[in-house]
Amino acid sequence: MTVVQERAGRYEAPERRLVEVVPGPRARGVLAYVTSTDHKQIGMNYMVTSFIMFLIAGFMAVLMRVQLSVPNNNFVDLNTYNQLFTMHGSLMLYLFLGPFAFGMANYLVPLQIGAPDMAFPRFNAFSYWLYLGGCITMTSGFLTSSGAANWGWFAYAPLTESIYSPGPGADLWIAGVVLAGFSGIFTAVNVISTVFTLRAPGMIMFRMPIFTWNQLVTAFLVLLAFPVLTAALVLLWCDRHLGTHFYDPTHGGQPILYQHLFWFFGHPEVYILALPFFGIATEVISTFSRKPVFGYKGMVFATLSIGGLSMGVWAHHMYTTGAVLLPFFAILTLLISVPTGIKFFNWTGTMFRGSVRLDSPMLFALGFLVNFLVGGFTGVMLGQPPIDFQVHDTYFVVAHFHYVLLGGSVFAAFAGIHYWFPKFTGKKLDERLAKLTFVLMFIGFNLTFFPQHDLGLRGMQRRIAVYPAGQGWDFLNMLSSIGAFITAFSMLPFLLNVWVSLRSSKKAGPNPWDGMTLEWAAESPPIEHNFAYLPPIRSERPVWDLNHPDHLTLPHGRHRNQLVTVGTGGTAGQAAVRAGAGNGGGGDGHADGGGASGQTGGGASGRAGGGGNGHAAPAQGGEGP
Amino acid sequence: MKHLLPAVLAVVHWGSPNGVTQQSHYVYWLWELTYYIAVPLGAIVIGLILWSAVRYRERPGHPRIPRQFQYHIPLEIFYTVVPIALVTVVFVYTYRAEDRVDNVAANPALVVRVDAFRWGWEFSYPNGYQVLGSVSAEPSINSTDLPVLTLPAGETVQINLFSDDVNHSFYVPAFLFKRDAIQGVNNSFDINIDPSVAGQRFIGECTQFCGVYHPFMRFWVQVMPKGQFNTWLAHQHGLHMNTIGR
Repeated sequence: MTVVQERAGRYEAPERRLVEVVPGPRARGVLAYVTSTDHKQIGMNYMVTSFIMFLIAGFMAVLMRVQLSVPNNNFVDLNTYNQLFTMHGSLMLYLFLGPFAFGMANYLVPLQIGAPDMAFPRFNAFSYWLYLGGCITMTSGFLTSSGAANWGWFAYAPLTESIYSPGPGADLWIAGVVLAGFSGIFTAVNVISTVFTLRAPGMIMFRMPIFTWNQLVTAFLVLLAFPVLTAALVLLWCDRHLGTHFYDPTHGGQPILYQHLFWFFGHPEVYILALPFFGIATEVISTFSRKPVFGYKGMVFATLSIGGLSMGVWAHHMYTTGAVLLPFFAILTLLISVPTGIKFFNWTGTMFRGSVRLDSPMLFALGFLVNFLVGGFTGVMLGQPPIDFQVHDTYFVVAHFHYVLLGGSVFAAFAGIHYWFPKFTGKKLDERLAKLTFVLMFIGFNLTFFPQHDLGLRGMQRRIAVYPAGQGWDFLNMLSSIGAFITAFSMLPFLLNVWVSLRSSKKAGPNPWDGMTLEWAAESPPIEHNFAYLPPIRSERPVWDLNHPDHLTLPHGRHRNQLVTVGTGGTAGQAAVRAGAGNGGGGDGHADGGGASGQTGGGASGRAGGGGNGHAAPAQGGEGP
Repeated sequence: MKHLLPAVLAVVHWGSPNGVTQQSHYVYWLWELTYYIAVPLGAIVIGLILWSAVRYRERPGHPRIPRQFQYHIPLEIFYTVVPIALVTVVFVYTYRAEDRVDNVAANPALVVRVDAFRWGWEFSYPNGYQVLGSVSAEPSINSTDLPVLTLPAGETVQINLFSDDVNHSFYVPAFLFKRDAIQGVNNSFDINIDPSVAGQRFIGECTQFCGVYHPFMRFWVQVMPKGQFNTWLAHQHGLHMNTIGR
């Protein structure tokens, strides 16, 4: 049930919020992990599982970089190397980055829109278990006698036909991707339903935080892309086991068909792996600049147009096949740089004349901006067919997509982890260790992947387990391998940080960063069904409005009327202190008017009032202390 | 220090190398155009980001609430229109370069059929001469005993590319060009090698992952002066076989 504030006249019954709680003891630990349908628990399940996948896949990357550190190396044999790069790519793309974003969506979207849970909690748990099944199925290929799949994460037919790639590892890979794919589809259904039906009173679409917007667009892309992949893989499975010839050219099948189907999924997938992380970076940059997102609506439209354009560019992965209409895919690909460019100016504009706090989440977000920009520019180069003819399937492409996905998305994921860690656990991560993580990661990442641009231009092709000496590749490969070790090493301070911080007794409080969006009005970690009360929602940053009523977002063209204030008027941890002040003059005549003020569980905050601001959430556990 | 300087120079190598075919010069030119738009633009954007972060940073312990502005329509229009204009320019030149790189002449001086297979290459000339190189059972990557694709300089050569099994890709880094060999797709392209590199030899590679011996699917492109090539070809017959990496 969505309540759109401006149409409040038509809506009369008060919003009934889901606050009934089944009494009795709560499952904890493993039992909670297995049985819970709470979106926060499932979100954590997703995030922790996918992070383990990240570490495993990262370890594979280190093995590969050892193999490639010197020419003609024999650290691993050819077939093992092929399994490693296949599983590295598959784990990172199917089992880490996407599911990690789904975990974030699970945890944060309901909080950001003021909902008690996802729309379909049990369905949500089901998607997690499908995903975990996919993880186990895919990685178990390593336990078979013929090893895991060894054909690259894209599994181009006819290499994947049973005559070229027999063995159960390959089938386990297909089953794993299909399971993870269904999990993604179900999560997308859940996210879309949640956003469309469970927004709190006052939370109109254009007041949703950018993170939620991006997750919504991502969910639509998942719905459009993943079924195509699933279908393509089912056909592949039929080719392998039922004697069909969809992709088998010797019996009239079409290998190129597989490429079309795969990339029709594969390109939106790239944005599925990027948009949620753009959202994280946006939230972090806005909070740590103490300013609203610059050009909020423009940014939403930019996200929507990235989503739209991304459905029409799949064949830019197929320029060199000689079977696609190059100008069409080239212009659409180049056009994507326009909304992406807009986002960059939004991010810069948000920091401009802000008050930028260089805490660890912000550092990761800045790292994201710089790395992603490099990846964006090489993307524009690859979007031009003649340049793509030169560098396609060389290390230039490897450098490009690692700049986008590792330097971009993963840096933003770390920004998100450091930013929301207090919300997830109630404890803040240690800043010194966090900054050490950032510095090591940033240096290691750039040292690994910047030289790979040049390797590609020097003609080093992708997916080769060995390369000859004397081609001008040796030194660059060694640099890259050293960088990979530094990147891997940067995980140690991070894991140590998580361990130490979880054991520390220091409480972070509900709003340690002076956050702006609704999740910062909840306890840390949030209580069951999230909110005992909701602050009035009058803009896309209700918690800020509540805490800083003198510093509401300025309307267009009145940039000079507001004074800069030194001192925030409240220290960290006291989120909702200015109860009742609301939006000075913001009450838009909505009848409800009642304040919902409640003392929540054990927090020091928890007082809020709707003072003439209309629709604060009713039924919120009592009228005042 | 004696070793460090060459090593550093090996890293500091800005932009793309130029190619050795007529077609590749268009690619190189397009590369230069994009590169010299991208590098200053990137420097400006990164500069703006870092400058905003440093110039407006908040000293720890001294919180400050800035003006809460959010929209500036003229600025937003500006940063939408300028990228569209840049993209249009780049697209126009992309289209022109692509037109030339992809152009297949009606009457090439020589047509060579290239077959890629697991794992090796077969080059077939119009007079029936064939070069067949396949990877040995335990190949060495450092071997230079590769099949040789001999081509004349200064002539338009059409390559017809086929795959006998899985997908492969014909890639000669010095040509700044590659094309996939896929069953069911008939791929033809032209190359016209600069006369200035006659007598030189260039490495060729397979760039589409094709199985265990993918890294070993290499070949040489030997460039001959036009006149010498015709005499040479007239004296070649039958099938010449190599074992790659023996």
